Amino acid sequence: MYPELFFEQLDLVNATREQRKSVVPAPLAAREKAALLKTYHPDHKDAGFRDLRIGANKGDRVTHEFADLLESFSSLDHARVDLVPEITTDVLVLGGGGAGVTAALFAESRGARVLLATKLRLGNSNTIMALGGMQAAVAEQDSPARHFADTMIAGGFAGNRRLVKAMVEDGPAIVEWLLKIGVNFDREKNGDLATRMAGGLSAPRILSIGDHTGLNMMKVLKDELHKSDRIELSEFTPAVELTTNDAGACNGAILYDLGRRRYFTVRARAVILATGGAGRLHNQGFPTSNNFGATGDAIVLAYRAGARMEGLDSFQYHPTGVMFPEHMVGVLVTEAIRGLGAHLVNARGERFVNELETRDVVSAAIIRECTSGNGVGTPSGKVGVWLDIPVLEELYGKGLLRKRFPALFKKFMRVRIDITKRALLVYPTLHYQNGGVLIDETGESSVRNLFVAGEAAGGIHGRNRAMGNALLDIFVFGRRSGIAAAGKIDQEPGRLTLNHVANYYGRLKSLRISSVAKSPTLFPEFIVDKI
Amino acid sequence: MITIELEGRQIRVPEGLTVIEALWDTGHDVKRGIGCLSGLCGACTVAYLEAGAQRVKFGLGCQTVVAEGMNVIMLPYFPSRMARYDLAAMDNPLGELPEHYPELYACNDCKSCNVCPEWIHVANFVKSARDGEYAITADKVKDCHMCGLCASRCPKSIAPQYVGLYIQRACARGEAMPANLAKRLQEMAAPAYDTDFAGVMAMSDDELKDYCRKLACAIKES
Repeated sequence: MYPELFFEQLDLVNATREQRKSVVPAPLAAREKAALLKTYHPDHKDAGFRDLRIGANKGDRVTHEFADLLESFSSLDHARVDLVPEITTDVLVLGGGGAGVTAALFAESRGARVLLATKLRLGNSNTIMALGGMQAAVAEQDSPARHFADTMIAGGFAGNRRLVKAMVEDGPAIVEWLLKIGVNFDREKNGDLATRMAGGLSAPRILSIGDHTGLNMMKVLKDELHKSDRIELSEFTPAVELTTNDAGACNGAILYDLGRRRYFTVRARAVILATGGAGRLHNQGFPTSNNFGATGDAIVLAYRAGARMEGLDSFQYHPTGVMFPEHMVGVLVTEAIRGLGAHLVNARGERFVNELETRDVVSAAIIRECTSGNGVGTPSGKVGVWLDIPVLEELYGKGLLRKRFPALFKKFMRVRIDITKRALLVYPTLHYQNGGVLIDETGESSVRNLFVAGEAAGGIHGRNRAMGNALLDIFVFGRRSGIAAAGKIDQEPGRLTLNHVANYYGRLKSLRISSVAKSPTLFPEFIVDKI
Repeated sequence: MITIELEGRQIRVPEGLTVIEALWDTGHDVKRGIGCLSGLCGACTVAYLEAGAQRVKFGLGCQTVVAEGMNVIMLPYFPSRMARYDLAAMDNPLGELPEHYPELYACNDCKSCNVCPEWIHVANFVKSARDGEYAITADKVKDCHMCGLCASRCPKSIAPQYVGLYIQRACARGEAMPANLAKRLQEMAAPAYDTDFAGVMAMSDDELKDYCRKLACAIKES
């Protein structure tokens, strides 16, 4: 329930709705977008960044949060850890989200024995939290080429065209595979896959399962994983370091058993790193939509092993994170709401940006409103703008929200806010790591036998990811890396060493870096400041 | 500050915390049972008794705010049997449901399972599953997080979340291939497939930009 102090504002949103319907903010020209991003997008706030002093990307501009992780030591004593493998397997998959499970399934299908290790419970991931949908060019008026064009444009042409081409061309076949294993995509009456618009798309391309797309995919993937005895599962065992052989190729990992509080070593012929993103690092103090485990572990592990990174200074701030009530701060309101035509409204009752602009532009516009006095304050001192959702019921008829967005409707009914009548207070929330470990089309990083899939991988989305491309990316590169990793099953992994860690520490010391931070972080400490 | 009973211990905590935040605040190093922190993944189920209430309620720990006098514990897992099967290899998965989940047919519609934090009417979909009305079940379980609270209440040890998922998957697999997808796959398999697009690798950066912008605009205008 909204407290009284919001009533005047909420009335203003209701009173200005009719008039707002006819005042559509014009799409911005390329120059205007660039200026808006430069002034207001967190990626352009120089105080949030520094140049990395060590490693393959030395000299690159990265967030302080990543630099802190990369310029630090681990709590693992690399000189004393037991490197005799407790488990030996063909393919070691690290991460139990959509990318990891897909990689495991495809590696197994090509004859590999697989160990899938995950920090939390299988499936606890950002995949489950993907609400709106997945892109795939299946609509009549669409094509993979158009999907390619939209993705490149959304990313500011910073994405690697080979990776983007691989992703969009695999899209339709991925959909076919998902249907085969029992994913129930929304359909039109004639049986066609339903496709919808989103910000920055030139054709309807979003496939969805209500507003619980990722959840329903993850449920099926988890179930599917249990069909085979050749995939072993290890939950609550985060990876804390990779191992390399004498030639520097990856050949396993050190895992930490959270229950027993001890380290153990796994030897593998290939390793697939799919531990997701880094929202829980809370860049620049932003709230996040990410799950508990999103602490950027992949970046730390791969970087110490010598892998090249890409775009570690680029994050996606999803425009519509919840700002009230307090305990839901950062939680996502799906972009599909804006895709359908909901208005963003400032404290003066005005629309201030075309809601179908790409996410980076919309976020920058919201931050502009909030820093220039057009935002709405909350009791705890936070600021946001209104997302006028009730307008959708007027545009499409009563009952639309309950039918199309049952999860959202219920989520707010629990706190007695009826989204068919009341607007929601929103502000950009740290959503996605646009960059990551640089991969090639097979998913392999610059370290041999180390594959990376999902949000941890970089090079695909450029400087801004379009809605629905993350869900596609996890399947495409999960599959590709699983297949390529299984192709390594005839090779000898070699001796397990932590030489790369010793070398890395040597360089840290020679730079007189003596960080107190320990990485990988594994679990966030954000609770303290919240309370 | 308010006083609550948390994991069997009376303790004072700040107002406005969720159950999970209250656990963290009081030194419980909880990791098992924490997931998305957004009310989506079903990892953090809790059972609680409100002050003066007689009936135990269930919810998600990340979305349930503690209140004065609340008695609450985490219930992050309940043992329930999950069938193993290879859906892609089955001819008639719906027909095989009784083999995989025979206990389903012991359901006497007692409705004890209606404790869903997502407000799914579990008894309804279990009944439609038992009676072979699979489409109804498949539709109703779309919002299921698989938290398993319903299974913890069933006197017949039915696991509605797994039965629901089986049916959801089987129904999806049983549907016809979508015509729009089939057509796209066919187009892409044909030798003539987008020869224009194949050239993007060789383009200069400026050519690539032009190519992309033209494609994106052409559609918007049509």
